[in-house]
Amino acid sequence: MSEANEKLLIDVGSTYFKVASPEGLEQHFRDFNSDIFDDLMNKCGDTVQRFDKNDVHICSSANGGLSTLIIGVTRSFSLKYATNIAFNSGINIIDTVLYQDLEDYSVPGELIDVVIIVGGANSHKGLFSDDLFAYLKQLTYSNIVFTGCEHDAEYMNSNIDNLVVLPNIIDDRLHIVEEHLKEYLTNLYQQDIEGKEDIKHLYDITGNQIFSTPYIVNRALPTIESRFSVANPFILLDIGGATTDIHYSKDLVEENIVTENEFDRLVFKRLGVYKSKQSLILAAQGNEFVYELLMHLKVTENIFQEQSDKATKILMQLAIFLVLYKMSHHRQSYINLKLLTINSIVLTGGITKVLTVEDIETIIVFFYRKILTSDHKPTVVLDDNYDIWTLGARV
Amino acid sequence: MKVVTGVVGNDIHVVANRLIDLSLRARGYDVYNLGVNTHLQEFFDAVVETGAEVLMISSLNGEAEGWGREVRLLKSKYKSLDDVIMMIGGNLTVGSGNAEDIVARYKNYGFDIVCHQMDLNTGLDMLQDLLEARGLVSEEAIA
Repeated sequence: MSEANEKLLIDVGSTYFKVASPEGLEQHFRDFNSDIFDDLMNKCGDTVQRFDKNDVHICSSANGGLSTLIIGVTRSFSLKYATNIAFNSGINIIDTVLYQDLEDYSVPGELIDVVIIVGGANSHKGLFSDDLFAYLKQLTYSNIVFTGCEHDAEYMNSNIDNLVVLPNIIDDRLHIVEEHLKEYLTNLYQQDIEGKEDIKHLYDITGNQIFSTPYIVNRALPTIESRFSVANPFILLDIGGATTDIHYSKDLVEENIVTENEFDRLVFKRLGVYKSKQSLILAAQGNEFVYELLMHLKVTENIFQEQSDKATKILMQLAIFLVLYKMSHHRQSYINLKLLTINSIVLTGGITKVLTVEDIETIIVFFYRKILTSDHKPTVVLDDNYDIWTLGARV
Repeated sequence: MKVVTGVVGNDIHVVANRLIDLSLRARGYDVYNLGVNTHLQEFFDAVVETGAEVLMISSLNGEAEGWGREVRLLKSKYKSLDDVIMMIGGNLTVGSGNAEDIVARYKNYGFDIVCHQMDLNTGLDMLQDLLEARGLVSEEAIA
């Protein structure tokens, strides 16, 4: 038996946890009345105890990701660069605020995980003033970071409590410098996972760092062809109970200024079929094509009120449609993928336990015909044994 | 003294852009060169990000004619560009045209200095004169 096979891999999701050992893969629905650790040990205690702490590797998507609000001074540089770095770090962007028009923006009511303030080359100074501090006082946030011109750092620091100051993301040629902010956001995501009370206990059974699941899945993509017949370029959808992650090859993006990885990812924080079910339904009801899609699936809007296997299946099909729609040129957003050039769509996560390839193909055909007016039909690849996750965890 | 420069629109005349860059640096300016194929908004945004005192746009294939019309409207959306010196130079029309008419037209678009088919150094001398006239530099030093 190889060393890699002696590892125990655990993925803690918002709805299920999965445990992969050399003997096979177990999947258990979470007991929400019980602590994750207790629940896990109750259901898989015997398996877990057979492994040394250093051979247990855990990842989690149970935190749902982080949210950010970005304040910058221009759309072409500071906001564009910070937005790109945040997205590529798996952070959900609530809004981007152009500083000169600050008074025109409404104040987000929700708790923001991190506020990013950026602007100015290092040769400049004095870009921000009291109106910014007044605006910040109206926000509710957990972290705040300044990554703009260095001359303003001290002034900003003296006016904003608990401000983290990072090197400028804009260099002297007005090019992007991604590493500092990316590292900060990635660490914050990591801390958010580790800081969850439920997750903390899991360190009792592992001697390794607990990673976020999107990070692990993303890590598997360069070697995905070793397990699946996937034709490049492809996208991977991980549709879970609380969030949906989309991983894509950079070849599918017109403009991506961050160049470190071959594959990028986006996390849709409120698009899931269990914990985020209500927001998924809300998003569906707001979509002009969904009623046609429901007709295509031979159901009515009443399906949203039902609690049945069929309703769950429809919700999952809607989630596929909505995520493709969000990434298409039909809807102008931060990133629009060249969906007509995709050769494969890989699906992983809880959705693979419910939908068949045919269930998925009917949605994809509907999407391409209705939204992109094309008969293009990428191959559907179903990762129904969580091979991608185990591949990423073993890299 | 900071200058943002570049070639506007779908124009890839990179040699001229490079010559402008070198000439500005030789005269002591801090240059932010956006290169060729630059959109008008990027020019204005670069001025905001750098705090540049001068925006110097070049155009070799006559594209500036179309973009120039957008200058006043776009500039009005910014709150910190009123004091920026706006300069444009190169071949500013498609085909032939009367230089006086062309200069007047571009000044009407909102440019302070217009150099149509003019020697580069002459244009830079005009910039120097305007900076001195506004009391932004002495005769000796730029940077």
